[in-house]
Amino acid sequence: MVHFSRFLFFVFLFIGLNIYAQEAIIVSLDVVNLQTIKLNKHSKGYKILAINDSIIQHNSESFSSLLRFNSPIYVKEYGAGGTSSASFRGTSASNTAVIWNGININSINNGQTGFNSFNVSLFDNINIRSGGGSIEFGSGAIGGTIHLNDELRFGKYVKNQLVVSIGSFETYHNLYKFSFGSATTAIKVGLSYNESENNYKWLGYNLKNENGAYHNTDFSFSIAQKISKFSKISFNTSKYDGVRQFSGQLPNPFAAKEKYKDFSFRNLLNFNYQKNERSHTLKFAYLTQEYQYFADKNKADFNFGKSKRFVLNYDFSYKFSSNSSIETFSEVESTFGETDQIKEKNRKQFSQSLIYNQRIENLGSFNAKVRKDFNSDYSMPFVFALGAEIKPVRNIFVRFNGSKNYRVPSYNDLYWPSLGNENLIPESSLQGEIGLGYKNNNFTIDVGAFYIDAKDKIVWKPGADPERPEVWTPANLDEVVNKGLELVINYKKNIHKHSFNLNANYSYTISKDKNTKQLLPYIPKHLLNGTLGYSYHKISAFYQHLFNGEVYTTTDNLDDYTVPYFNVGNFGVNYNLLKNKVTQLDLGIKINNLFNKPYQVLPNRPMPNRNINFNINYKF
Amino acid sequence: MKISKFLLSAFILSVLFVSCDNDDDMQEPKGDYENGLLISGEGGPSGFIYYVSDDFSTTESQIYKKVNNSELSVYLQSMAFDTENAYICVDNQNTITVVDRYTFLKKGAITTDLEGPRYMTVADGIGYATNWGTAGAYVAVIDVNSLMVTNKISIGNGPERIIERNGKLYVSHQGGFGINNVISVIDIATEAVTEITVNDRPDELFFDTTGNLVVLCEGGKIYDASWVQIGETKGAISKINPTTNTVISEIVFADGVHPTLLESYGSDLYYSIGSKVYKMSQTATTLPANEFIDTEGNLYGMAFNNNNLYAIDANFSGESTLNVFSLASKAITNTSKAPIAASKIYFN
Repeated sequence: MVHFSRFLFFVFLFIGLNIYAQEAIIVSLDVVNLQTIKLNKHSKGYKILAINDSIIQHNSESFSSLLRFNSPIYVKEYGAGGTSSASFRGTSASNTAVIWNGININSINNGQTGFNSFNVSLFDNINIRSGGGSIEFGSGAIGGTIHLNDELRFGKYVKNQLVVSIGSFETYHNLYKFSFGSATTAIKVGLSYNESENNYKWLGYNLKNENGAYHNTDFSFSIAQKISKFSKISFNTSKYDGVRQFSGQLPNPFAAKEKYKDFSFRNLLNFNYQKNERSHTLKFAYLTQEYQYFADKNKADFNFGKSKRFVLNYDFSYKFSSNSSIETFSEVESTFGETDQIKEKNRKQFSQSLIYNQRIENLGSFNAKVRKDFNSDYSMPFVFALGAEIKPVRNIFVRFNGSKNYRVPSYNDLYWPSLGNENLIPESSLQGEIGLGYKNNNFTIDVGAFYIDAKDKIVWKPGADPERPEVWTPANLDEVVNKGLELVINYKKNIHKHSFNLNANYSYTISKDKNTKQLLPYIPKHLLNGTLGYSYHKISAFYQHLFNGEVYTTTDNLDDYTVPYFNVGNFGVNYNLLKNKVTQLDLGIKINNLFNKPYQVLPNRPMPNRNINFNINYKF
Repeated sequence: MKISKFLLSAFILSVLFVSCDNDDDMQEPKGDYENGLLISGEGGPSGFIYYVSDDFSTTESQIYKKVNNSELSVYLQSMAFDTENAYICVDNQNTITVVDRYTFLKKGAITTDLEGPRYMTVADGIGYATNWGTAGAYVAVIDVNSLMVTNKISIGNGPERIIERNGKLYVSHQGGFGINNVISVIDIATEAVTEITVNDRPDELFFDTTGNLVVLCEGGKIYDASWVQIGETKGAISKINPTTNTVISEIVFADGVHPTLLESYGSDLYYSIGSKVYKMSQTATTLPANEFIDTEGNLYGMAFNNNNLYAIDANFSGESTLNVFSLASKAITNTSKAPIAASKIYFN
């Protein structure tokens, strides 16, 4: 009896694995950009959260709000639509890397990505990977990486999508996507335009969000062509142009008059040749970024920062067997950065990464990665990442990972006039994670415990330079330990024609300064978000909730200096007016801050009151 | 039972006695924040004010927030006082908030026609506040009853401190984000502005006991077009004769030495370089060779009273500390908490 059940178990496991493998092959044949597949392949033992385009549409108001309601990332935002930065597992903003179609696009000037100087509504999917193991995309992503992907597919289709959303505070979010596929060609064009007066009411005060208006335009174009049975070429381009004002704060929002302009232009040419066990990919990227900061929107003078980057990447992979492969990434990069106060600087880097993938039949798989950077400004040691996933019994998986990371100082850290510190060294970290999960067709749970030991962290703070205690300067100051838990639950259930689904993230984070034994400011211990979805026939509804724990605003963790915890909920209903093979028309209403509760992410910067948007999603 | 009843009676009696005492001899207390120090911190996340009682037995943090359940935001530059009110200047908020100086209850706020208010003074019932301005600096003339700006007097770049004497306003021009080197003298009646040139970055100014205007010039740094420092200008303690509006003496600091604070106490002047406080007679013509007290902290604000030096050891990411040094023994006699980025001490 025992033997028989074990036999059955192995049969199931074997069938399960085979099905999985087949799916992967089918997908890889017609999908041109293999970002998601590669990411999964190279992330054994790591947690990846997939955000698809329908979730992206649910939080079309901003990238910040998309992350806040759907990921374990804490997003600091200076009022809705203002400056925004991410803290992943308690790490600093520059420890979260944003990867566009496989290219790291964090700014060379400040090392991070501003999540409101960005529009993500045109992307087909976003993957969020926790942990420092994405070393093939740069060594500095200690907290994790956010992957923004355009997906191209061969096959015969013509698709159009139009999304129009009109909401409170004169907010308009509109996008149009066109995609075309044939057996040998795939094309995607996207255009989006967003604008808002963003003058929401500050609950509890007789005031509004003054000077918060924004508008932006985003254009993207992708094309792929099969050249032969084995080779294809693709090209992605994307152009973003945005203007935002920075809203005021309590008690006198009328004092605000700052304005900010962002421009970015990204291009990627990709050639791939794949035959039998060998695959070659050659990428060339040209990326530019520029910002203009107007201290007074009514005046012509501004401060600026701009950068241009050239990246050449050769990726070769070789399959030893159906279970093992090796992949190398060789990358040359040249980056030019300047601001109105920093003369143009050039940084060159050559990096070599090597990834080994091994699947152990009926048990699991692992990756081992090493990377060495040769940087014109720094000598960089080897970094490595290991990850393994084991499936000891059906539905249960155990995952492990660990990595060593380095983050080089940004141009601002080094060269900011009279403040920058050219003696900075790269910050480094060593981290590990162990996770345990259960997965079946309807239910997934993953619990991971992480530990990050970071030293020489680059921190801007007053007193960093003892000669000038009142001046904010950067230094390799802090030794920080981040530890915590991340929990993800996905559940779906169908009862007759009613279907329910639940996605939830909870993270518990302790970020401690090793010297002072105090918690780092602006990192909540508890962060919980989730979406409960329901659909029946033509109606679907969802409820999103965020619980953001209290944060300290000072390094000495005083109870007088905190931003209180808050709960905020959003609710949406969609009605499917029309659905056939080629056409689908949905009408939706979404109510943000359903309970109309005042909340602040950062002190004295109230977030929006209850607001409504109506949206039409037409696919044809 | 009996004892407790006795104690109760004794207590009631004592309360009555004390109450009688109050009625007979003592004034009504003007508010919780009388007879103590007010320490203001610039912020962020917000500017705060702490109260420390004269005997250092109580410290109350964030008193404005406690009383009014709201915050002042950044950056709380300074406070000015008249007999009833305190005027709290918060520069990035373009706001001067008015509170009862003893209860700290908010009476109102000036939120229009201010552009980066830095310091204020009240003379003959009229307020005068220096503003960096977006299209040129000015002194805002404020009706303290209606809390409206009634007039703006244009002055040079980056004004800071402002004091009044004999119908004239004296303003130091540190230069804001740049560098300036003048003292403005404004005739209140005619609004005529006279500029007196001093060394770079003048900040503290006051009249000494002989009637001269004393100014601390911090001195500046000179940068080339690509923001590399290529030189220094000298700091100085300058004395100005207010009748002739001329500089009558100047004690100059060595190159690269930038004094940051200056106060007068009795007939002496006290200035600071880094954590060290130096003492000299107001009639001295040379600088002292050695420091008077080394406060051994981030000395970011100081004041003198009751033969004590009140020195702020500022913390910009947590609570600051106020240390009281006896001028006689030079030892620390009291210590209290102070707000984040604490910079100013006022005796209330």
